[in-house]
Amino acid sequence: MMRQMLAFLSGSAGCIVFALAIIVWLHVFLMAEEHVPIFICLVTVVGLGVAANMLKVTDAVRTSLAEHERLWNLCALAVPLALIWLFREDHYNLFLIGAIMVYAVAVLGLNVQLGYAGVINFSCASFFGIGAYTSTMLMTGAGLPPLAALLLGGVMAALVGCILIFPVLRTSGHYAALVTMAFALLFKVFMDVNDFFGGPQGITVPPMTLFGIDFSHNMLFGDTELSFYLRYDLLCLLLLGLAFCFVRRLERSWIGLSMDAVRSDDTASACFGINISRWKITAFVVGNCLSGLAGALYAMMQAYISPANFTFSDSLLFLSILLLGGIGNMWGVILATVFVVLIPEKFQVIQEFRYLIYSGLVLLMIIFSPKGLLPRQPRSYS
Amino acid sequence: MKPLLCCANLTMRFGGLTALDSLDLDVLEGEILGLVGPNGSGKTTFFNVVTGIYRPDSGNVTFDGEDITGLAAQEIYYRGIARTFQRSRLCLDLSVFDNIMIGNHKALHLGFWHNIFKRREFKAEYELFREQATQLLCALNPELADRILKPVGDLSMIDRRRVEICRALISRPRLLFLDEPSAGMTPDETRQLMDEIVALDTDGQAFSLVLIEHEMEVIRRITSRCVVLNFGRKLCEGAYETVTADSQVQEAYLGRELEE
Repeated sequence: MMRQMLAFLSGSAGCIVFALAIIVWLHVFLMAEEHVPIFICLVTVVGLGVAANMLKVTDAVRTSLAEHERLWNLCALAVPLALIWLFREDHYNLFLIGAIMVYAVAVLGLNVQLGYAGVINFSCASFFGIGAYTSTMLMTGAGLPPLAALLLGGVMAALVGCILIFPVLRTSGHYAALVTMAFALLFKVFMDVNDFFGGPQGITVPPMTLFGIDFSHNMLFGDTELSFYLRYDLLCLLLLGLAFCFVRRLERSWIGLSMDAVRSDDTASACFGINISRWKITAFVVGNCLSGLAGALYAMMQAYISPANFTFSDSLLFLSILLLGGIGNMWGVILATVFVVLIPEKFQVIQEFRYLIYSGLVLLMIIFSPKGLLPRQPRSYS
Repeated sequence: MKPLLCCANLTMRFGGLTALDSLDLDVLEGEILGLVGPNGSGKTTFFNVVTGIYRPDSGNVTFDGEDITGLAAQEIYYRGIARTFQRSRLCLDLSVFDNIMIGNHKALHLGFWHNIFKRREFKAEYELFREQATQLLCALNPELADRILKPVGDLSMIDRRRVEICRALISRPRLLFLDEPSAGMTPDETRQLMDEIVALDTDGQAFSLVLIEHEMEVIRRITSRCVVLNFGRKLCEGAYETVTADSQVQEAYLGRELEE
């Protein structure tokens, strides 16, 4: 019986079952408001995860993922769409779904840096912030259309990354990490003391407008009034989809291979003609660009930003998502983002302790499953 | 035969230690040269200096008539020198194919546009290299060709060595350095691997091979000439029989007889 079920799950059915399970679980979890049901949801998912691992269901799912990749991609698109539709009138949950997707884009950027090229970056939130502030200032100060401002937010983050990469390349190991930490602290202080950028009180961000549609108004659909976050969520999904395709193609190319070589062994890489700096710079710039784009969209969605949104602790949060999800595994990154964004929102009481809880989780992960929730699989080039 | 690689007066110091001491060493076109000597005699340092990992303190390295002294490791690879490492430096979490492709770096198209957006062209390129890698693997061990997408970390020591040799060979080097390929293997496995190396069909393109090896049996069987190093100096060179008969070599390996 068990064997039949595994065979069933390792086919295309595995994908659909998995997608439905995620929709149902996320719907229940997002709807839950009391601590007890929330807690039950979490225990259920951890239990299911452990059981799936013990019963080799995860292996079946992995086979299914490798063999029916296109179907999995479609389902991955269907899950957020279904959830967005289910919560069409609910501002708060739509905002959370959007936040998950935006954070996932930033962590995908971090994944290119740390997961592929092995460039450590403790200032991911700062590049997220550079994107956010750049797009805001371009809209309010220069009157640029929001879409152009969004893209330039990504460009600006990439440019600042081009400067920071020089001291990072000149150092290695812990010292490179220290350079990025210093940058994270510097960014926060710089934003705090500059009144031009709104100072510590922050600054309001104009909404996204696209093809004359203002994203800050609710819209009517028949008799129901849809939340204005619905449009933002669709835009977030578009950005995440594009970022995901881009990073996946990057991984499955000679570029991704060269980055992996640089990360695993720089002496051997050098002996086979691989230009180490070139790939570290590429990874750093690409990753920061993704973080910047994500930050710009996040700012518009939140309509207000302040330096407190982009602290060193937030950078650690991004890193912990990557470590929990599985360095180098993009599905793992997205899965971990869901938990890391939702858990503190659902348990308001733990807000104060969330870093304590994350560090505990990361420690447990490093001890029991050092490769994360979903370890990275060997590369395929399809 | 004219020399492919000429090293003249090569000196490499690490602090107070002179790892290579005014070494003169030539590698001829198409030969298999055995490099032997006790531990710490400077064999691996010699490889590292020629392949650009270390920059020599003095002396010259000429490859195919051009001075390559002190060039970066990347540059040396592009000129046609490939190597393996004493402690195999494979990327264990990458697949066999990925590891071989690292050696194929000079043939890969690395442009962003090509890799990300021209996927059809990229895949054609991938199929071609996949075929090349499979052929190389088949020449050493056909079973490896079936495991081409498996991580190298899952392979046995001898298979890892084979992958490392394929990684060096796929770039079609003119000079190949093998740094103790038998380390960590049984005598039987060593014999097998050496037979495979000697039997390699390189499409008529001859390459010179320099082999560091402690198994004297291997040296006797496959090399055409030997160089013995001791304390970074060349002690003696010539055919296996000449070298092993040399009293200085015996002294370096076995020590001097006590004078009565």
